[in-house]
Amino acid sequence: MFRDLTKQLANITGFDDVSLQPNSGASGEYAGLMAIRAYHQSRGDHHRDVCIIPVSAHGTNPASAAMCGMKIVVIGTDEAGNVNMDELKAAAEKHSANLAALMITYPSTHGVYEDGIREICDTIHAHGGQVYMDGANMNAQVGLTSPGFIGADVCHLNLHKTFCIPHGGGGPGMGPIGIKAHLMPFMPNHPSEKDFGALPVGGDKPFGTVSAAPYGSALILPISYAYISMMGAEGLKVASERAILNANYMAKRLENHYPVLFKGKNGTCAHEFILDMRPLKDTAGVEVEDIAKRLMDYGYHSPTMSWPVSGTLMIEPTESESKQELDRFCNAMIAIRKEIADIESGAADKENNLLTRAPHTAASIAGEWDRPYSKQDAVFPADWVSQSKFWPTNARVDNVYGDRNLVTTHAAIEEVESA
Amino acid sequence: MKVVSAALKNNNTSQSFNKIFSRQISVESLGPLDTFERRHNSASKEEAEEMARFVGFKSVRELIDATVPDNIKAPQALNLGSEEYNRGYSETEFLDMFKKMAGKNKVFKNYLGTGYHGTHVPQVILRNILENPGWYTQYTPYQAEISQGRLESLLNFQTMISDLTKMPLSNSSLLDEGTAAAEAMTMCSAIARGKKPKFYVSNKCHPQTIEICRTRADGLGLEIVVGDEATFDYNDKQVCGVMVQYPATDGSVLDYSDVVEKAHKGGMKVVAACDILALTQLKPPGEWGADMVVGSAQRFGVPLGYGGPHAGFLATTEEYKRLMPGRIIGISVDADGNPCLRMAMQTREQHIRRDKATSNICTAQALLANMAAMYAIYHGPKGLDDIAKKAHGLAKIFEAGATKMGFQGPANPYFDTVTLKCPSGADAVVASCAKAEINVRKLDNDHVAVAFDETTTLEDVDDLFKAFNGGKSTDFSASSLAPSVNVEETKFTRKSKYLTHPVFNVYHSEHEMVRYIARLEQKDLSLVHSMIALGSCTMKLNATTEMAPITWPELANIHPFAP
Repeated sequence: MFRDLTKQLANITGFDDVSLQPNSGASGEYAGLMAIRAYHQSRGDHHRDVCIIPVSAHGTNPASAAMCGMKIVVIGTDEAGNVNMDELKAAAEKHSANLAALMITYPSTHGVYEDGIREICDTIHAHGGQVYMDGANMNAQVGLTSPGFIGADVCHLNLHKTFCIPHGGGGPGMGPIGIKAHLMPFMPNHPSEKDFGALPVGGDKPFGTVSAAPYGSALILPISYAYISMMGAEGLKVASERAILNANYMAKRLENHYPVLFKGKNGTCAHEFILDMRPLKDTAGVEVEDIAKRLMDYGYHSPTMSWPVSGTLMIEPTESESKQELDRFCNAMIAIRKEIADIESGAADKENNLLTRAPHTAASIAGEWDRPYSKQDAVFPADWVSQSKFWPTNARVDNVYGDRNLVTTHAAIEEVESA
Repeated sequence: MKVVSAALKNNNTSQSFNKIFSRQISVESLGPLDTFERRHNSASKEEAEEMARFVGFKSVRELIDATVPDNIKAPQALNLGSEEYNRGYSETEFLDMFKKMAGKNKVFKNYLGTGYHGTHVPQVILRNILENPGWYTQYTPYQAEISQGRLESLLNFQTMISDLTKMPLSNSSLLDEGTAAAEAMTMCSAIARGKKPKFYVSNKCHPQTIEICRTRADGLGLEIVVGDEATFDYNDKQVCGVMVQYPATDGSVLDYSDVVEKAHKGGMKVVAACDILALTQLKPPGEWGADMVVGSAQRFGVPLGYGGPHAGFLATTEEYKRLMPGRIIGISVDADGNPCLRMAMQTREQHIRRDKATSNICTAQALLANMAAMYAIYHGPKGLDDIAKKAHGLAKIFEAGATKMGFQGPANPYFDTVTLKCPSGADAVVASCAKAEINVRKLDNDHVAVAFDETTTLEDVDDLFKAFNGGKSTDFSASSLAPSVNVEETKFTRKSKYLTHPVFNVYHSEHEMVRYIARLEQKDLSLVHSMIALGSCTMKLNATTEMAPITWPELANIHPFAP
């Protein structure tokens, strides 16, 4: 199964081989960067230790680069949200002699297929660097393009994203890396083959070991293998197309209510898009967190809050949601926009309103009700919510208090309570 | 489907009704109907086209063409490696095919240890957590108000680790023991503000732990020195820490108090990599001076799974809380003044500190940490003690029998792993065991190590005796030897209590357990309720057919180092 899955993933990513050892996306980033480092060292380029990373990158990118001893050079994005090509070229030139790698996510973390991606890869290669592609957005690539085809040398996959391993409430994940032939010798190995006579893993000049087990969290690999094997080649491509379609459909439904921050050159987004909530702070005193908490009253988990851009919500529906569900979520967002409009017009109080007091618990409507809006509006803001209510356990959590008074075990609570 | 004839006669005789409509059966329509793609890609083709038009394009095709840049469009269709993979299996076709493939795995009886041990996953936890989408489809608990279920479970996990290790602060899981050890090494370096570039690693640590630390040190510009922890130079001011394994990889339980004293005097921190079940029996590292404790919670009811996923853990003192990697669950209050759990001190983590973060870790092992915590809750301290004593007892009986056959037992006390000197060499023993479908660990040319666990039975020990006897039955059995085997208290025997909190002491019947699990589940919003449109997280369908094989024994019970 490992052999077949490796082949499937290699073909999907457009690479020559895949290592199944890294057991998270961050672990995959670390493994890929260590392979790049080993590659440079094998060519005598020990001085190549500069890694260019866009400011919009996922936090694990620079964190992983730091773990490989790389010096990080940050480049910015332009007004369209794309990698600033001038800054990229300048950085590549300035650090040409010491350039190890670029880390890039494609489509961008802003949800756009940047036109200049091939030029970016070529620039890095011209200056002796390797291209690491963060595979978090593979859901917009599978069957349509691939990192290898685009020009990357290595990428990681998040099997717990694109390939259906469940999120588990915070793990487990798997982050195998796809790599081109010139990096294959450096793939991570494992001491168990030496000590136990187990199957050999890794290249012939491995940079080391990244996980305690040779195939990482092997037991969950069958989940991705099942997904790929049941969808088929055409099914996987349709999945990507539907992911893109669903995002564009939602953006269209919402664009007159909230500004969509970045779009591609033909006015579409990829598989995700960003809604800009910052203007609402000025017009209604509403923070993006208020919207996130109010969505709980509608029975929804908030989209990604304030990343990659502060004060925004990033929405990725995926291909697995029906039109009814997409519409229901959009209706919730539109209803919330009306609630915000009430604040803007003065019909609702700026401090004490449905958003600033969200989420609303069952306890709150059972006890004294002294708020300027109705219980009905608070906890049953739409028909479908009345039919199927999910109750938040708590009112809004106080984060500052929790960090100032750190208590991390049950015993500690008792000590505090008895003190 | 071919319609052969639709002879509609416009008369009302009953005869004409007999042959009004007939067609041939097409072979295609008799193929598998449980196709998967339409279950996963939720909108119908018609709806999809309608949505494309709403966006302003004539078709889905046109929208995609306008979105994916021309210069990266793949020139040929995706090839998944075979005709069957390209076509796509139906759900039952896949399960049949994969069951046959998985059946090729030979599940030997394992005594390989080395950080991975057999365990019984309580069925109530298997079905209600690992096989329950209400427990496995939630996101990371950043939105605390709708995540109190798993937050409480992770707090239980932290409490469990803290109790067993006797270290006040634990995180809510790392990826595995080896990377947890590497993270602890990084902490030691950070404590020394990067001024002490060397780190000692005992050669009694598990091989994979040593390798991961070696690799990690390389990238961080640290140098690890692997050797005998008793003879390291503790006066070397370049060394930021030392790591020991407790019990050692060969099973020995050793007194590291000397190491701790010397290390601390020399300005070094001490990292103890431990076995979690052993800590129910042995004096925990928090009581003999360790600064950080790492390990794996796998043997608390999480299947071997050929290496994972399992929850690694790291625990330390309050002093180092800001250097701690990974997610930490903490207690706060909500707007109504009620206690509320949440993810604490996120400013240490990569999503905020980026390259200055304590670690790059993002996704951890929450589901498995939850399973391990529930295992401890279900068994309670007495149940865990019984499991540990049984493993130890069987190990002692095995040593007694092996000694009778001419093997030489270990000089040091041990918990569950017996190292034997083999008069005819280790290879012969390993081969004889393999013939009996048993895996034992070859330590070197003369020694084997045999690790006992929750799943070992008296009959298993008898099988071992036979295998160690070259395949011939012995005149004694585990049962017959038992009365003559003594288990003594040693200076290592644990005296302090653990898992005293009520949560570990009240859910011991299945009804209580299943209701506790359900109570927590009800507090968590997951994909069973509504879509979770988190950008960059791709919260798509986790289909049941995809999940089904992970609990098959032929996949779940394989040791990662099985040859």
